[in-house]
Amino acid sequence: MRKVGFTSTIPLEVVVAAGAIPVDLNNIFITNQNSPGLIEDAELEGFPRNVCAWIKGIYGAVVSSGITEMIAVTEGDCSYTKALMEVLSLKGVHVHSFAYPADRDSLSLRGEIERLMSHFRVDWQQVNAAKSRLDRIRAKVHEIDRLTWQEDLVTGEENHYFQVCTSDMNGDPDAFEAEVDLFLAQASERPKRQEKIRLAFLGVPPIVSGLYPFLEKMGARVVFNETQRQFSMPYRIKDLVEQYRAYTYPYDIFHRIGDISRELKVRRVDAVIHYVQSFCFRQIEDMVLRKSIHLPFLTLEGDKPTEIDARTKIRVEGFLELMEE
Amino acid sequence: MSTDVSIGIDLGSRKAKFALMRGGELVRLHDLDTIAFYKKYGSIVDEELSLDLKGSGIFSAEELAAARITVTGYGRNSINLHGARVISEIKAHVAGALAQTGLTDFTLLDMGGQDTKVAQVAGGRLTDFVMNDKCAASSGRYLENMATVLEVTLEELSSYADDPVQLDTTCGIFGESELIGQILRGYPLARLCAGVNLTLVKRVMPMLKRYPAETLVITGGVALNGAMVRLLSASCGMRVVIPKHPQHNGAIGCASLR
Repeated sequence: MRKVGFTSTIPLEVVVAAGAIPVDLNNIFITNQNSPGLIEDAELEGFPRNVCAWIKGIYGAVVSSGITEMIAVTEGDCSYTKALMEVLSLKGVHVHSFAYPADRDSLSLRGEIERLMSHFRVDWQQVNAAKSRLDRIRAKVHEIDRLTWQEDLVTGEENHYFQVCTSDMNGDPDAFEAEVDLFLAQASERPKRQEKIRLAFLGVPPIVSGLYPFLEKMGARVVFNETQRQFSMPYRIKDLVEQYRAYTYPYDIFHRIGDISRELKVRRVDAVIHYVQSFCFRQIEDMVLRKSIHLPFLTLEGDKPTEIDARTKIRVEGFLELMEE
Repeated sequence: MSTDVSIGIDLGSRKAKFALMRGGELVRLHDLDTIAFYKKYGSIVDEELSLDLKGSGIFSAEELAAARITVTGYGRNSINLHGARVISEIKAHVAGALAQTGLTDFTLLDMGGQDTKVAQVAGGRLTDFVMNDKCAASSGRYLENMATVLEVTLEELSSYADDPVQLDTTCGIFGESELIGQILRGYPLARLCAGVNLTLVKRVMPMLKRYPAETLVITGGVALNGAMVRLLSASCGMRVVIPKHPQHNGAIGCASLR
């Protein structure tokens, strides 16, 4: 079956309507047993050391997995993606670009989506049918999210995992839906979790592992994973174009803050962790977030896919101690 | 109260520091190079480093038996003493600054071997903090490296603040070759040393700017660098206070916590 990779969340409905297997390249990089090796491969080819590890990891993942067709999000994500697209096209990968319009203009976005549709030779009827199918799974993932913050039955990592998977439904929507069903059945039977501090995790999904369990060991649980939740298209909007206009990740920080502020309040969040990736432009946006959010605020930086290091632990411990006082 | 004995231990990246307090009064301070301490008194137990505090002879058996022991720093979980309390570094340093200065409202700058921490203290409580991450070019280790390149002691490096030569390299290691380049240009040693001290000030300023206060308390080994402190005072506009034992501040903080 035709496999289509992508560098960031794209209108998944189009790929599914075309009968192709969607592959979020971030996910195949980070779940690879040798993810640090994929970064090293990219550096050996000439990628600079001071470039985001996700970009290098995606490059390594595409080359090692033999993916020959991909969609690169060239507007609404970082400019490194543009250069990545150029380098991969030299390697013989067929790259199609997708641009989220910076001004969130609905006509422009519709135009981009229709350009993608014509590339995959699908029409609106097929795309809307795919949307109905995906929305059914998304609704179940929204329930996992609700069980996280409203019922206190789900860990931060489980919440992260199920939501982050909605970007490509693990490449197999039916199998993913079965996994979600099984989890929902088990989770609703659990005792309530007892962590005292409720955290928000803002920013891109973490490249480091072990953060969520470490927080829970310290008595704090993430009840809001900002970007991962965005991947699950949380607003349940019927119109496809409107859905991807409401989606916050590719647009300006103020659009994101609207969503963040609402959720911090509804979910009774006590403190915020802003995760930033080394060498990412979003590190600059930390300044804006700090000014806009009036809760205890810790910024964590991740570089390579490793277990969280001693320094990060020291900072988290200090931060949580502050909360307890 | 007078019989209350407490021991504070700060296992830093460069030095292990120890403090003994009796009835709230400081009785003794001690320090050892971290690596030497680990090599001599560390052993692997269940695949983890275990440090033999009794064997080190820093404290008498009587003191160890009577004292409440509190540990912080990177090796904080490896002290093999039952009942030793482990606390975070930021908590230890704030407690140390409170105990040593008697102040309640200040910004704390702790500059150690690899860490630079800036904390905001209001009403005697920690309210926020930042730490360097991913890069230790703003730490004491930078000064040590540069002193080696210049073939001067840390004491001598610490005596020059006037007319600093500009050094701009982001990387603390490339900073060495930049310094060599400036030596080749014929700049005098005093100006090169001042340049090194000013570079450290520039790296710390963005962190300090977050927490403006009337008073800045500086702790950690770098507080002993008088020239750096002078340059920093001039840049930040805060009244600078250096406690009596800046290097042992974390250990004193541990010992002072009830």
